[in-house]
Amino acid sequence: MKRVGGVIVSHGQVANELLAAAETVVGDMSHITAVSIGWHDDVEIAKDEIDRAIKKVSQGVGVLVLTDMFGGTPTNISAMFLRENEVEIVTGVNLPMVIKLASTSDEIGLSEMAKLVEEQGKQSIHRTGALLEPQKLKKDA
Amino acid sequence: MREGSVTVVNRLGLHARAAARLVRLSAGFTSRIILIEPVRNVTADSKSILSVLTLSASIGSLVLIKVEGEDEDRAFEAVEELFRNGFGEQ
Repeated sequence: MKRVGGVIVSHGQVANELLAAAETVVGDMSHITAVSIGWHDDVEIAKDEIDRAIKKVSQGVGVLVLTDMFGGTPTNISAMFLRENEVEIVTGVNLPMVIKLASTSDEIGLSEMAKLVEEQGKQSIHRTGALLEPQKLKKDA
Repeated sequence: MREGSVTVVNRLGLHARAAARLVRLSAGFTSRIILIEPVRNVTADSKSILSVLTLSASIGSLVLIKVEGEDEDRAFEAVEELFRNGFGEQ
């Protein structure tokens, strides 16, 4: 079965650490890799690294690039690779998004996967105090 | 359909690593395995780690298990046992 590949791209070591954390939870994630862009790295070098990463994880059914922050350099460089049905980008990567990409084993296309991961990222943000105290929340409402 | 309840006994509760063990165990059965945290009324699919984590079940929490399918007896007993032994943790 061919899977949508994944590349996590971030400033500093965030991408590598997110990958390592997700791997601890999910297990083997050979279809996902990480590119950490140093604060002082040359744009051309970073671009080459992302290019290599996309090629490395591609199984021919598209690659989802997860970047740390919309408007940041990792996103801007990744955007040079945007191609319909081949490379798609979702910004604001968090651990649940990486786990979602890693653990969704259904045979789904790139754009559907991008939507799933985007939704998961948004749904995984909770104001925990309110979540764990529904009684209190009701009283305050 | 098999139904029952268990209490979370390990200190860290149903955290990421424990949830991962539960998901791996559950994936080995064809039955549908549903977990319910009755206080906040949260329902989770035992085969999805992100779903299991939303239960946010800490030590002492009660969790209802509902299993339906061909191997429901074996699945129920395995899941119940994993909770009972604290996911192999303290």
